[in-house]
Amino acid sequence: MKNKSTIKSMELRARTDDARYALHLVRQNVLVLAGTLLVIFYLVISLTANYLVEPSIAYKFDFAQSYCWSNSVISWGKNIESCPVGINPVLGTDGFGRDLLKMIVLAIPVDISVALFIVAASTILGVVLGAVAGEVGGKVDEIILRITDIFLAFPGLLLALVFAAIFGRTMQNLIIAVLLVWWPVYVRLIRGQVLSEREKNYVEALRALGTSRTRILFNHIIPNTIYPILVQSTLDVGGVILTFSALMFLGFSPNPALPELGNLAADGIGHVFTAPWLIVFPGLTILVITLAFNLIGDGLRDILDPRLRR
Amino acid sequence: MTFVLFGISLMVFYLARGFPSAFAPWTQYVTRKMNAQQIQAIIEQHGFNKPLWEQYIYWLRDVFQGNWGYSNWANGLPTYEVFASRFPYTVELTIAATILTIVIGIPLGILSAIRNNKLSDHIARLVALTGYSTPTYWFAYILQLVFFYYFYTLGLPYLPSSGAISPTLAGTVSAITGLPILDGILAGNMNYTLDALAHVILPAFTLSFTSLGYLARIVRASMLEVLKQDYITMARSKGLSEKIVICRHALKNALGPAMTLTGLFTASLLGGAVVTEYVFSWPGVGDLSLQAVFQGDSNFLLLYALVTALIIIIANLTVDIGYAFLDPRVKY
Repeated sequence: MKNKSTIKSMELRARTDDARYALHLVRQNVLVLAGTLLVIFYLVISLTANYLVEPSIAYKFDFAQSYCWSNSVISWGKNIESCPVGINPVLGTDGFGRDLLKMIVLAIPVDISVALFIVAASTILGVVLGAVAGEVGGKVDEIILRITDIFLAFPGLLLALVFAAIFGRTMQNLIIAVLLVWWPVYVRLIRGQVLSEREKNYVEALRALGTSRTRILFNHIIPNTIYPILVQSTLDVGGVILTFSALMFLGFSPNPALPELGNLAADGIGHVFTAPWLIVFPGLTILVITLAFNLIGDGLRDILDPRLRR
Repeated sequence: MTFVLFGISLMVFYLARGFPSAFAPWTQYVTRKMNAQQIQAIIEQHGFNKPLWEQYIYWLRDVFQGNWGYSNWANGLPTYEVFASRFPYTVELTIAATILTIVIGIPLGILSAIRNNKLSDHIARLVALTGYSTPTYWFAYILQLVFFYYFYTLGLPYLPSSGAISPTLAGTVSAITGLPILDGILAGNMNYTLDALAHVILPAFTLSFTSLGYLARIVRASMLEVLKQDYITMARSKGLSEKIVICRHALKNALGPAMTLTGLFTASLLGGAVVTEYVFSWPGVGDLSLQAVFQGDSNFLLLYALVTALIIIIANLTVDIGYAFLDPRVKY
């Protein structure tokens, strides 16, 4: 018994050392640090958006003030003084006459929560199907793989477009549409991980000890494949935001007034040269959020990859 | 391969026909000139009064006979012709984007690897990551805004913001291949070629901006792996210059994964240029597919999806063969 607890504590120490070393690497890597801080910043904005900005202003239209710009810092190549006196929106107003900055603040939580949901859902789907495919093998594996083949050979955005066009433009359908594009990657990733992991010595040892297959799979193999999954999910949050907002941008928004970054940018399609801020700022926000997640994911990949590490 | 194509056709077919839509499915086989009787005959002939699975068999028969129906939203031309006349534009855009991706992406990756964890590596990483964090439509509009609008207002030589060829020059060269640049060269028309080239720059750069980031990251990773190998140390200890070590010994072995990726990118770009084509009004199939989605033209979408899937599959195959060619250790 005592022996077991010593092993446990040694294991724990090894793990904390590992974690501490990883943390040290994070601190050393400026870009990862910057990404982390940005993500924290946007998460805080998402959580407090409804307190920072009154949510109901998204549906208060004032067409007398649409497409107005009064910030003198950027002139957009010409003098735009179309704002009524006394109104000074920092980033101009959109076609509905709403303050663009406030709309962006309201839109950030929408995009981030949708992206987190889609990534979480496809990860869970991927873990279940990938683990089953890798562990059971044979016919089941073959069937699951062929299905992912079909989805992967399909031009991604097109599938989402077709789905959204047929089932109607509700938020729910758009989320399903993006999810439909995203899950096969995870099945592939996790199946590969499970296959390589189950050949390792410790799994052999567990089998020799008589541990049940499901227990080996869920208690040992899957926890050991968590790092690549973590990296992939972090990188994918950005990708999902891009795809989702692209759908919105292409005109699949359920409601033209919905505060969503792609939808806000879509408002500027016909006004690129007269009201460029409508595309520039929402797009820039998407870029920075996506970049922040990608910086973390990319850095994590380097840090967690033992081959590149020491 | 056949299975994948079959699966895709089944999936899109079910999505397109299995649910109520604003457009009756038989409109795709009907032209405006037909009368009610003829339409009834068409409905019978293509099995639209039959259950869904039987409709699929009828559809398969039509496809093997080369009958994809008509696209009424595109002047009622046969869908196949609409697709075939626009596809070369997408091919041209994709080729240009691939060239840009390779020319920028690979050096960026190499730079990142040989200056590992130095400032230039961080900058290269930031550029690469920014590349694939950028919303395509946003980047496209920024390019339009800067290189078309601002250059124009400042009186500088500007790049065109939409289309594949200036309207004044359109149709002056006979379409042999359908690719504007190649047609211009074949006809020996310098003006036309340069105009086509100017039109392709912005959309191609937009498309490549996303993929060159990925490519740079992959090249960096495989380059780092290769640079740790013994034979590189050996080459260095022989006194070879760093340039030769990198270019002749390391790069050749590091390019395998990069090639895989480029092949896959070219294939997916060919099918995924929807947003770019939309923003730049590029007359390719991506932009058309968006219209087809809104017009409920399932046959066009099926054709598009199948052609793209076929290209993706062929690209995978080519990459595998190329791999064996590049790396003699790979045997099949």
